[in-house]
Amino acid sequence: MKMLRALTFAALIGVVMPTLGFAAAKETVVIDLVSEPSSLDPHKQWNPDSHFVYRNIFDQLLSRDDKGEIIPSIARSWAYKSDTEIVFTVRDDVTFHDGQKLTAEDVAFSINRIIDKKFASPQLSQFNKILSATASSASEVTIKTDGPYPVLLAQLVKLSIVPKHIVEKVGNDAFNLAPVGSGAYKFEKWQRGVDVVLVRNDNYWGDKGYFLRADFRAVPDAATRVANLKAGTADLAVTLDPDLAAQLEGAGGVKVLTAVTERIAYLKLNTSRPPFDDVELRRAVAQAVDRQSIIEGLLGGYDKPVSQLASPDYKGYVAGIQGLPFDPDQAKQLVQKAGAKAAEPIAFVTSPTFDQRIVQALIQQLNDVGFKINVESVDFATYLQRAQSEKTKQPAISFGRWSCACQDADGISFPLLHSSSSFSALSDPKIDALLEAARNTLDPDKRLVAYKDVATAVAKDALILPLYQAAVIYGASEKLKWSPTANESFFLNRASWSE
Amino acid sequence: MSAALSSIGRVLGRPPIGIVLAIATVVVILVAAIFAPLIAPYDPNVQNLLGRLKPPGFVIRNTHYLLGSDELGRDTFSRLIYGARISLLVAFASVVLSGITGSILGMLAALYRGWVETVIMRAVDIVLSIPAILMAIITVATLGPGLQNVVFVLVLTRWPRYARVAYGQTLIIANTSYLRLSRSMGAGWFHILRYHVLPNIAGAIVVVVTLEFGLMVLFEAGLSFLGLGVQPPTASWGVMLSVGRNYVANAWWLSVIPGAALFLFVLSVNVLGDFLRDRLDPRSR
Amino acid sequence: MKDTDAAFRRAPVLERVIQVGGFVVRRLVQALIALFGVITLVFFLQRLTGDPVLLLVPQGATQADTDVMRTALGFDRPLYIQYFGFLADLVRFDLGRSYVQNLPVVDIISSRVPYTLELAAGALVVAIGLGVPIGILIAVRRDRFEARWLIGLVLIGQSMPTFWTSVLLIMFFGVWLRWLPPSGVNGFQSLIMPSLALGFLSMATFARVTRTSVLDELSKDYVRTGLAKGLSMSRLIAHHLMRNAAVPIVTISALEIANLLTGAIIIETVFAWPGLGQLTIQAISARDFSIVQGVVIIGAAAAILLNLIADLLYSIIDPRIRLPGRDA
Repeated sequence: MKMLRALTFAALIGVVMPTLGFAAAKETVVIDLVSEPSSLDPHKQWNPDSHFVYRNIFDQLLSRDDKGEIIPSIARSWAYKSDTEIVFTVRDDVTFHDGQKLTAEDVAFSINRIIDKKFASPQLSQFNKILSATASSASEVTIKTDGPYPVLLAQLVKLSIVPKHIVEKVGNDAFNLAPVGSGAYKFEKWQRGVDVVLVRNDNYWGDKGYFLRADFRAVPDAATRVANLKAGTADLAVTLDPDLAAQLEGAGGVKVLTAVTERIAYLKLNTSRPPFDDVELRRAVAQAVDRQSIIEGLLGGYDKPVSQLASPDYKGYVAGIQGLPFDPDQAKQLVQKAGAKAAEPIAFVTSPTFDQRIVQALIQQLNDVGFKINVESVDFATYLQRAQSEKTKQPAISFGRWSCACQDADGISFPLLHSSSSFSALSDPKIDALLEAARNTLDPDKRLVAYKDVATAVAKDALILPLYQAAVIYGASEKLKWSPTANESFFLNRASWSE
Repeated sequence: MSAALSSIGRVLGRPPIGIVLAIATVVVILVAAIFAPLIAPYDPNVQNLLGRLKPPGFVIRNTHYLLGSDELGRDTFSRLIYGARISLLVAFASVVLSGITGSILGMLAALYRGWVETVIMRAVDIVLSIPAILMAIITVATLGPGLQNVVFVLVLTRWPRYARVAYGQTLIIANTSYLRLSRSMGAGWFHILRYHVLPNIAGAIVVVVTLEFGLMVLFEAGLSFLGLGVQPPTASWGVMLSVGRNYVANAWWLSVIPGAALFLFVLSVNVLGDFLRDRLDPRSR
Repeated sequence: MKDTDAAFRRAPVLERVIQVGGFVVRRLVQALIALFGVITLVFFLQRLTGDPVLLLVPQGATQADTDVMRTALGFDRPLYIQYFGFLADLVRFDLGRSYVQNLPVVDIISSRVPYTLELAAGALVVAIGLGVPIGILIAVRRDRFEARWLIGLVLIGQSMPTFWTSVLLIMFFGVWLRWLPPSGVNGFQSLIMPSLALGFLSMATFARVTRTSVLDELSKDYVRTGLAKGLSMSRLIAHHLMRNAAVPIVTISALEIANLLTGAIIIETVFAWPGLGQLTIQAISARDFSIVQGVVIIGAAAAILLNLIADLLYSIIDPRIRLPGRDA
């Protein structure tokens, strides 16, 4: 009997002790992502979940503060030598996780690595205006572009610096398995398919992290991520929809974190084929869509309506642009006037990647004014193929969400509207000229003038229908202190815990 | 006609109460599906963003949500009735087509052996080893989404199950003397299958059919969940369930109601299947 | 039938071994051909739907930039050259690299196999452990009260969509009681819910098949004779009946194991279980061809092997059935 009691006691201690230890300080923060990183080599993929993790292992040349302004990071300062040449001064107090110093050589190496065609980085398109990068001294890097490139700084916010000596020594494959950076957290282990664990870098040059460890787990199902939050087995969960967020608001111990992002949702109308080669029918679409009811009814009021392909956080955002007002009666008349042309059934191309509720609500609004629109839902790869086929073969109407992760009007407008782009269904020499002018000057005023003309044409002739600035919704433990940002990135050293 | 009915009646005997209930359930659901436009109070696809996620019995602007409303403010009751049409159609068509194909191939393989068997049974292996989802994606990418293609995918991936069972069952009786006799007398393959093999293996096939029937409704749900099945806004029980799953905590009716309908239907089909099997299979009488 | 029976009993052991050996070799050769068919089919079918390049690059990448990527991954080459390259690698047991993860496919797949086996084993324990006894009980006590309850349980098992069962399990044990973690792979605890969810569906299959074949056997003469001679029912079942009733159960087992191995896609997704199912669905939607090919090759080999084992077991359990593949 005594024996039994002793055993019970021991068992109890065993159960209680770890719990007590846990309560003392929050050591590990658990983050539920959708999927595991595809790769932790920052130059080898373009994928939001990888990005969420690797940005903490590596420092970028530049950064953005929580308000979205570009701030120094590895580059202490920068100056334009000419329209096509810019010199960055690199910090001298940064060391990689292996103790080696980060120098201008590493910065130049990182840039040249990503623009090397043989390396074939998926991110090439974001850096393809860069001709070369050279370390002009131990602390200076000169970048040359193939013309004036106003978006360069915004792109360099995404440029992670990798250690030249390690990459060259171990090769790309080994580096992918055991990445070494200079960031606020160090890579600890990657259990394939399960999670990536990072540990705090106590020698970090900038703000040090609060949590000793971070555990990034792959949890593909949104409802399961919510269950993990409610059960207390996760501290932060990404990518929730407003209806799931509503469930969190009722539950104890958890909260909803949200921010409007730089991601713009739009309806693409194909101006190169019937029926939307007809400007009147495009206007009918514009007037049939009630953004406000979609945002308030379906999106929980988190998202913001827009009438241009940019949000106020963008360089090149034009204040005061008004789209055609919501006016279903006017739209109905336009559809009736178009007669037979509008009577044909139209396929609305979408993908399960997008929120089906929104697509269905949009289609209902269009059909309410007399269009005959059917859904055609295809997998995302097929969707992308169809969205960038020949102009006359692109879908007549499709839904999309776009972020260039650069907060610049060029990032969305150019690929969606310029005739040379495979994403564009438009071929309008005037729009082309404006977009080129804005892309090829560093003068912000000239750019704004050009973008104003583009935005006005988009609004007036409904060349494309910008819908809203999408919000990102996270679920978090009530104790997690962190504020989400417009560029959907997550810096561990900006998060902490309230006991 | 009445003679035929009474002979069926004689075979079935007086059905127990469970069977009566099962028949009643199936009949009610079938009637609802066939006469959906007459029964459903509202258009199943009309949305009302102000009336989203309302509980059963909720009334808003002359709309009476008998079984609540869904994530777009559509009437769950109307969608349930229209959804029955699609779900039953998909399940019925795919079970019949894959059942016929699979059973015939399975019986032939066991009966004729040799290269017939090799080709058929290795084809079974091949199909069983390609993920159904891959088949679905390829079909949709090449043929486009839609109802017929859902059925096509299901038939393409499910016939081996019938083939396997028909094969196994036929092997057991393949060497019986009456089969050998009828073959040596030069009976055609169809005659042998129809009159000598099928009656003996029908019980096992019926079991598979009743298992598969419910599964097909669920498979359709899975395909629709991946965006490869029935296209929105068309309702099917599977679509309703897979969407409703995300609302278990704050709108239980979205998944519980189609789930209950599906459950009752599959239950009834299974009860009927068991009953028929017991009565029709010569060996268990 | 008597003749065949007798012939088998008289056949010397050696002859029997040679027979079985020849059969296995023949089937393995056929299996290799089938496998070749599968991979060829999968290789070309996948490529019918395009390539993964557009999914890898940021939206808005220009044609020139995507072409760089396409060339680097080799998708600009003619299809037949890609195919022969793939075959050439395959005979050296090289499954290629993942375009998305930049790792050898073999490494990726082998990191997922243990999880898949673990889950399939857990589910099989649930399915057979519950299904077979329930099936026997229902058959033996067909008109009794308890049989009806068990039938009800079986029916629930096969009428509930797996994702629905999974969500209910998570809500009840994970969120409400907090006994088990809602998702993840932290030891035995994490295995319980996915195994139940996956095994529940197969449990119904096993119960039904067991019931059917036990019923078949019960109607046979030897059972009546046995009972008349005073053998107890449980003894009859254990020693005679199950031996005969096992044939269909074995068939179904082989099919079910193949199903459990590759068919847990929804459950693996809901429970964030890192098995092959989740890997497959992710690879398919990412157009990560080489992973899909790898999984299909391994899955196909397993399925073919399991079918072979089922056929062998057939003839061991019931020698009346001659091995398939020989002329009748």
